[in-house]
Amino acid sequence: MNRLIKAELIKIATKPRSYIGFIAVAAIVLLIEFAMYADGKEYLSFITQALEQTFIIEGDFLNGNLVCFIILQTLIIQMPLMVALVTGDLISGEMANGTIRLLVTRPFSRNQILTAKIIAGSIYTFLLLLWLGIFALVFGLLIFGDGDLTVIKSDALVIIQSGDTLWRFLLAFGVAFISLTVVSSFSLLLSCLTDNSIGPIITTMAVIILFTIIGTLQVPVFENIKMFLFTTHMIVWRNLFDNPLDLELMYTSLGIMVLYIIGFTAASYIIFNKKDILN
Amino acid sequence: MKHKILLYILLALSSAVVGQTPNQLIMNVNSKFGKVQNYSALINMVFDIPGVTMQPVNGKVYYKKPNKFRIKSKGIAFVPKQNPYLAMANLSDSSSFVAVEAGREIVRGIQCRVINVIPNVQGDLVLGKFWVDPKGLLILKSQVTTKTNGTINLENYFSKNASQALPDKMIISIDVAKFKLPKALTVDINSKAKAKSKSDRGTGIIQMNFSNYLVNAKIDEKVFSEKLAN
Repeated sequence: MNRLIKAELIKIATKPRSYIGFIAVAAIVLLIEFAMYADGKEYLSFITQALEQTFIIEGDFLNGNLVCFIILQTLIIQMPLMVALVTGDLISGEMANGTIRLLVTRPFSRNQILTAKIIAGSIYTFLLLLWLGIFALVFGLLIFGDGDLTVIKSDALVIIQSGDTLWRFLLAFGVAFISLTVVSSFSLLLSCLTDNSIGPIITTMAVIILFTIIGTLQVPVFENIKMFLFTTHMIVWRNLFDNPLDLELMYTSLGIMVLYIIGFTAASYIIFNKKDILN
Repeated sequence: MKHKILLYILLALSSAVVGQTPNQLIMNVNSKFGKVQNYSALINMVFDIPGVTMQPVNGKVYYKKPNKFRIKSKGIAFVPKQNPYLAMANLSDSSSFVAVEAGREIVRGIQCRVINVIPNVQGDLVLGKFWVDPKGLLILKSQVTTKTNGTINLENYFSKNASQALPDKMIISIDVAKFKLPKALTVDINSKAKAKSKSDRGTGIIQMNFSNYLVNAKIDEKVFSEKLAN
């Protein structure tokens, strides 16, 4: 099994597209950090100007924790697409190249092959998040320093003391991993259904964009279906930065995401096991 | 002119009714606090500001006569722009204001004289209303209106430092605009729409708890001139 996982990781590592996510994350994060370094105070003064009419604000809003939070918020749409770029290709890429025939003739069951691909996909997702964490949080703290985190919402400011932020960020990355696993399992399912690598990637992107739009629209007709869309629950990491924590909402969202992962993965096993390999 | 005559009649009447004239009372209160040239103290601030959720903040507070006031905290804190000692600083000269008695009220079980203060000289202070404990010579409650920062309500709670007119607790109420930003700016894309409130303003309350007063010890001027982070 370890050999299979290692082989899958080597396959991922040898594909140039696997590095697009890392390059994009680094570029976006560095761009945001540069922008915040150059004009962060001005950006924040626009946000706090209503409060500054009445209060003197003691302390510094602009710090590594805030920059990391802004980055996480900005990348929430892009990260799933970067994951799908790799995980959507895991089966369909082999089908398109014709290498799947060679793979299934080796002395491993189809379940083992798929399990190795899922684990390799998860390792890729984890590494991408770790990369994001290093660039967003570690670099953010090094450049801007530590301080109280100001969570900027459209109708509120939540200020979290600096000593209370690290565990929230670590848990947020954990929740983000579960969110991205939903995307990777969904794209893997699509990958099992098709014989070309572009289809699952594009379809995953389209579904995420569609679901996000439905989630954003404040239209009553969509209110009842929003809770069934996995994109609604993928942003639950944000609730870790509320005070007090809405644990019920968090457990519900995490539960729904785990159910999605189980459902997509189970369907992938069934489809992959029954798949006729004709090419 | 008519107003001034009316004011002097009111003043004469009030002084006849009670022992101390409103002016004398204010001056006595001021002279009691006047013994404090400066102080530093530990402060714990609890915030209840519309649209802002934050935990209590600890810091240090510095005051220097006549009206230098600065709170320094390790983290983010919201301090009212209006200095809570501004009114006192403006009332140090008895010729600079007119005090008018506006009745008596019981504040936290203490019979207080309500004194309205109108400054004679052009300045930031527009109007002050003070609920004064005539026995303790302490301002238990005040409402101060300034040109630059509007109206602010203060409640002072005294205990062990009452002899120096230094409160152990101060509650400041202030009118604030409710926090609102476009969702596109905050990337708050999936937040649920809340029921719209009728008013776009609310009352912000800041509770300041003072402890470990260090009175009339040397305070470095730099404390007041250091630039704020924001």
